[in-house]
Amino acid sequence: MSQSGFVVDTRSIWIILLQSGRQPMLLLLGVLIYLGVRTFVAPEDLDPAGHRALAVFALCVFYWVFDVLPLMITSILAIVLLPMTGVLPAKEAYGLFGNEAVFFILGAFILAAAMMKSGLSSRLALVILNRFGHDPVTLLRGIFALNATMSFFMSEHAVAAMTFPIIVEIIAALHLPPERRNYGKSLVLAMAWGSTIGGVATLLGGARAPLALGILRELTGDTYTFAEWAALNIPMTLSLSAAAWILLRTFFPTGDIDISKAEQAVQERLDKVGRMTLQERVIALVMIATITAWIVLGEHFGLASIALTAVVALFALRAVQWRDVEGYVNWGLILMYGGAISLGSALHSSGAAAWLADQTIASWASGPVTVILFIAVSSVALTEMMSNSAAVAILMPLSIAVTSQFGIDPRITAPLVAVPAGLSFMLPIGTPANAMAYSSGYLRVQDLVIPGLILHIVGLTIFNLMIWFYWPLLGLSP
Amino acid sequence: MLPNPGILKLDLAIRGAGLGDSLRARHELLHGRALRSPVAKSAKSIELVLPGDVLVSTPVGESFTNDSPYKLMQDADRFLLEYEGEPAEVRVVAPPSYYAKKTRSGIPMGRIGSSYGPYIAINPAKRCGFSERGTQCRFCDAATQGADRDEPIPVEDVIDTVRAAFADGNSEFVYLHIGYVDSDDAGVEFIEPYVRAIKRHFDTLVAVQLQPPRENRWIDYIYAIGVDAISYSVEIHDEKILESVCVGRAKQVGRPRYYDALRHAATIFPNGTVWSDLIVGLEPIESTLEGVDTLVEMGVLPVLSVFRPLSDTDLRDHPMPTTQDVAPVFAYLFERVKEAGINMNWVRDLSFAMTPFEARYFSDPNAIVPSGLGPLYRSKLGNLAVRNLSRLRRRLRVRQVNDSYGSSNL
Repeated sequence: MSQSGFVVDTRSIWIILLQSGRQPMLLLLGVLIYLGVRTFVAPEDLDPAGHRALAVFALCVFYWVFDVLPLMITSILAIVLLPMTGVLPAKEAYGLFGNEAVFFILGAFILAAAMMKSGLSSRLALVILNRFGHDPVTLLRGIFALNATMSFFMSEHAVAAMTFPIIVEIIAALHLPPERRNYGKSLVLAMAWGSTIGGVATLLGGARAPLALGILRELTGDTYTFAEWAALNIPMTLSLSAAAWILLRTFFPTGDIDISKAEQAVQERLDKVGRMTLQERVIALVMIATITAWIVLGEHFGLASIALTAVVALFALRAVQWRDVEGYVNWGLILMYGGAISLGSALHSSGAAAWLADQTIASWASGPVTVILFIAVSSVALTEMMSNSAAVAILMPLSIAVTSQFGIDPRITAPLVAVPAGLSFMLPIGTPANAMAYSSGYLRVQDLVIPGLILHIVGLTIFNLMIWFYWPLLGLSP
Repeated sequence: MLPNPGILKLDLAIRGAGLGDSLRARHELLHGRALRSPVAKSAKSIELVLPGDVLVSTPVGESFTNDSPYKLMQDADRFLLEYEGEPAEVRVVAPPSYYAKKTRSGIPMGRIGSSYGPYIAINPAKRCGFSERGTQCRFCDAATQGADRDEPIPVEDVIDTVRAAFADGNSEFVYLHIGYVDSDDAGVEFIEPYVRAIKRHFDTLVAVQLQPPRENRWIDYIYAIGVDAISYSVEIHDEKILESVCVGRAKQVGRPRYYDALRHAATIFPNGTVWSDLIVGLEPIESTLEGVDTLVEMGVLPVLSVFRPLSDTDLRDHPMPTTQDVAPVFAYLFERVKEAGINMNWVRDLSFAMTPFEARYFSDPNAIVPSGLGPLYRSKLGNLAVRNLSRLRRRLRVRQVNDSYGSSNL
């Protein structure tokens, strides 16, 4: 224990006890919910396996929502419970873990790790900023566009983590006086919003979309190619970017600011980086080839196969070493996804998802419009309460069941759930990008909440317009 | 007839006891070196257990004990304390056998630990910073009695000694004490490895007495590393008398810092585990009573010891108080601690000082202590419960900062 790494909590011991007892109490409550569903809920039109799957689902939803266990541990619990309760044979339950989406995410993580570890992603960011940042407005626009565009190709969280220190350095170099603090605010918000909005455009921006795709494929056999997904969502990303830009300029107007010092700071960083290394060139080439292959050959070979081939190529060309990528891969997320896909599949095959949809949404929804609106709003609301991956894991099986009952194309559920789940603008805890922006010290909570709420409403409106007027043009009718 | 155990303890501590013929040659019963206590540092004494299980370190074989109305005698296997011609049975605590053993590096364990009641007291430091500067308390004879050493005691030797003391069966708790250390932490970092090692090897409670650190975060830290009870002893409440008797305490630490540190410690440690010694007899009674009030109001347990002049100190000619003079202070001590609801059961069984729990005999011998759990605290089951509750409390209250980051899901 270091002398500064602890605090002694001097509140009443009863308050501390109550707080410390929260997790054991919630753990116990989850078990009681499981037993309660098994004992007291007796659906006549659901077979025993479906009944048990429903109980496991209730337990996992409770643990995911209240963060009782780490997300991935709840997923492991689901995988363990499915065969133990006889919902699925063990071979099948564990076999579902080997879903293509899980390996696609693994490949995407390793590719992103290679870009970050080699310094290629930082170089890209610095080059773009150096090219565009010659006056306050173009610098701001450059930061927004940089974060949004980079999130097309790698995790939005990684993009924010990479660009944040550069932006902090730029702000520090500007020595902004109090009356010019709006510019500081808009720079960090451009970073946060840009990453978040860009992250919904392709399958690489966040792991939600591959998870939704994995569940869709397991449950219906349908999927999307890389290009199809991007074609569905890029117009939405562009529209939302325009709306965000207007809000940014309206809420945080900036006057004339001399940004020569910021340019100097970026140039100094770029000088430190030096010339592009052979390793960076190799990684850049592999990345370009991979994205091209995803677009051109994705349907034929599968996204995961292409991603993993790229990973093998990087190692074969000695552009990256295992120890370099080991720390960058979010192994917990991979475990979480495997478990969520198994649970979703069990709910679907046992009929529990259809039964649950029948009892809930289907019992009051009047038609496709209300169903689609309800799913989109639920996705946004759940994302504010819990991890967006958990929100996708909970909503996907139900959404597939309910859309089938209303005669809606089930393929629509993947973007319908995954895209709103990525739109979090209001709270510092909403996404790591928001948290980083808030930690800069330039923003107050209301700076995030008010424009964030407006952006939420605008985003949902644009999203619904896309569903009804643009997606049908691509053959995806609600 | 003997006075009640509380008054008897006080009287014996002040006046000592003469030895009957049968005991004069029993040198093995004498406790030579003692705690850094003004009442019993270098004096020869015998540990007695009085009726009511009250422990007292009784001076014997000193010039003033010849005039004592008490006489300790042996009758076969029994020890008798005679007062006004009437004998009453008492128990004598023989010095433990581990005193004669040696640690792995060859240090006699009797030079490392001293057992008092259920405590083994250890000062692992080389010397007190006050003595080094010549600013030690004028009643203190640590330097002249060779209590200071050139090097600190290695942790392993302390562990050997504690293990031997626990094996003897009389000691249950560890009491670590060091003198003044001139640093921000006042010796917390020095004592940390001892505390950690004791906690790692033994299921026991550890009390520590040292000087207040300059910053309160060290008080939090010493609780976090496993210390169960703590003492910053101001010794004298009257600021002017403190300055003249304890120059180091007054100048290098300052009375306000003692009280600030105690006030903070009382918010960190469990109720009744923060205590401060006050010496009765070096300042006017009113001032001692004020000191009791000050400590009690901040939730700190005052522990009173009676001044005894030691021959090798500046205060050898200072008059001793009489039992009648100081008895009301002890009655007041009990009433004030009881009124403030401070737990009296933690700091107990001190043979060299009067705890508030024992001071009940001065107020009302049959007084019921608020918690009423005294006997339970002394039982094996009670000790087990106390140790585990203390551990649980620390586990609940001390939080790693990383936990907070983790819980924020960032």
